[in-house]
Amino acid sequence: MNRFLTRNFRDRRLQALAAALLLLAMTFVVSTVTLTRNMVDVLAVVDITGSMNVRDYKRPDGTPTSRLETAKAALRDLVTRLPCGSRLALGIFTERRPFLLFTPIEVCRDFSPLDGALDALDWRMAWEGDSRISAGFYRAIEMAAGLGTDLIFISDGHEAPPPPSTGGAGFEGKPGAVRGLIVGAGGYGLSQIPKFDDRGRETGFYGETDVQQENRFGPPPADAESRPGYEPRNAPFGATAAHGTEHLSSVREPYLRKLAGETGLAYAHLEGPGGLFAPVMQAATPRPMPGSFDLRPLLGSAALALLLAVYAVPPLRARLRRRGTPAQRWKKA
Amino acid sequence: MTLLSRLGATLPQILWLLPLALLPLVVSSQRRTLVSAIAAAPADALSRTIGWALRLAGIVAIGGLILALSGPYRSGETITRTGIGAQISMLIDRSGSMNETFAGKQPSGAEESKAAASRRLLADFVGSRAHDQFAVTAFSTSPMLVVPMTDRHDAVRAAIAAIDRPGLDYTNVARGLGMALPQFGAGAAQVSRVVLLVSDGAAVIDPKIQGPLRAEFAKIHPNLYWLFLRTKGSPSIYDKPAGEDTPQAAPERHLDLFFKSLGVPYRAFEAEGPEQVAEAIRQIESLERDPIPYTEQRPRRDLTPWAYALAMAGLLVLVAGKLLEADLQGGSRAAAGRTAPDDAADERRLAA
Repeated sequence: MNRFLTRNFRDRRLQALAAALLLLAMTFVVSTVTLTRNMVDVLAVVDITGSMNVRDYKRPDGTPTSRLETAKAALRDLVTRLPCGSRLALGIFTERRPFLLFTPIEVCRDFSPLDGALDALDWRMAWEGDSRISAGFYRAIEMAAGLGTDLIFISDGHEAPPPPSTGGAGFEGKPGAVRGLIVGAGGYGLSQIPKFDDRGRETGFYGETDVQQENRFGPPPADAESRPGYEPRNAPFGATAAHGTEHLSSVREPYLRKLAGETGLAYAHLEGPGGLFAPVMQAATPRPMPGSFDLRPLLGSAALALLLAVYAVPPLRARLRRRGTPAQRWKKA
Repeated sequence: MTLLSRLGATLPQILWLLPLALLPLVVSSQRRTLVSAIAAAPADALSRTIGWALRLAGIVAIGGLILALSGPYRSGETITRTGIGAQISMLIDRSGSMNETFAGKQPSGAEESKAAASRRLLADFVGSRAHDQFAVTAFSTSPMLVVPMTDRHDAVRAAIAAIDRPGLDYTNVARGLGMALPQFGAGAAQVSRVVLLVSDGAAVIDPKIQGPLRAEFAKIHPNLYWLFLRTKGSPSIYDKPAGEDTPQAAPERHLDLFFKSLGVPYRAFEAEGPEQVAEAIRQIESLERDPIPYTEQRPRRDLTPWAYALAMAGLLVLVAGKLLEADLQGGSRAAAGRTAPDDAADERRLAA
């Protein structure tokens, strides 16, 4: 009796089956382990000024869509990808300041109101037409600092009216104190900006004379003396109307990169209705939070592998052996 | 049938592995033994039964494991019940003056701005009854949808937490109402619907918009509450101006008159301090005591442990079979014959 038991114990297949049984039993004891996962807390500020209505993105079906719609789609996509426990606050930007719509909301439990709020973003929420991006951006950084979150600032970088030739006011905060990401929205080529009437109906596009082409506050630019009709006192900016492309819009990447550089944020270009997850996870502060990890699939698949091996290995081995040497009896383990 | 349709798997692709469970039909888990003539041992019922039991156990073990890995569950149900509550569309003034105190000054020290007071009191209001649903719309010059109608009170409180941030320019009530009204959406008409306007001022409602607004109110027929946060010294809703009685001269009074003319249940609360705001909110709460259907999500049930238990049962039989295994030829490596115990000898028949 004992002799055949010891022999059975030495059988690899019995050992494998016993191991599988042990693994299975463990699924009932240690089903989950707690481990820390990295979440993010982030304030998203979306530029909703007029230039964000430029339709220089394409939907998957090929129809053109606006920068704002693409930014919304990208944020909604981001919310579905962020690990549960992450939180998103939302603000909009126009004029010269961000406006906080809500403080951070958890992305899984409260997904449906969050998704609805992102979907409801509209350029019609804007309370004023100016677009002083650097001012709004600096204040968005302050807002994120106040909320204790990171920042995603989505904008095309198109300042309206154009910043003075000397550049705007600089950043006064501490670079890198708030981490985050500037997302440049828009194509690299110039596109027309749609114009709307006071009832929100589209009436065409901005023309060259509709917008201010040059900022004539402050000291004149260095090349002013070479302009036609320049006169130091009466015509310091030259005597002719400014010409330019301020009525057309593209993503002002060098400007946004400069803003990102001086505040210590990262920069990413918005390529389409998605793709924000990787740059956000890279730029944001990881916030370790306890999460649970289900061990059962691991234990179960190991058990399955053992079990399948018990059935599949001997015949396979036999076949291999048969190919090499003439028929041989089964080797007893 | 209904039970079957509620079964699901988190990773249904894994179920494609199920044919692997047929492996025990082809290969045996037992050792193979060379017997010079299979006819030497007569076929007997017991051996055959044990053979099939082992095969079945193998099928159950592999099949159970594959099933368990696919994450089987019985899906949850959504049950509609009736509770007490209302659908409340909050329309909150975010104009700059909301950041002043009720005395019309910048808050200092322990003083509370109108926005901070309404933030505190409204946050208590949200969530005091489990089945209320809220939508939050903010307005100044233009309306902003903050949170659509939802029963997730955390999200609503997050929206209310933002209302004492620095406000914007003007008070454009008409456009705000135009956005707050559609938040009710289509749905059960018997639900109590409430528009709660919180503002510290009023504005002339453009006669062009008055018509559409009236139509919208008539269609949705909400109860309208106006919580007017009156700054000290500013005109009351009920004050008649000394001069001409026009909407431009007394916007508060005329907004009140407009609301009264809508033909919906309407009440205005004039609050001149946080206590009065709290009292007004208490009254609104007690007025809105209608039944509201709400959905309760019964969580889905994880069936994985059952699948593992099934696999374990199969595996136990297999292990037992392996433990009791004996060879016809005995344990010695030499092929000398040694009679095995009877019960174990049966199992050898599985071989070859």
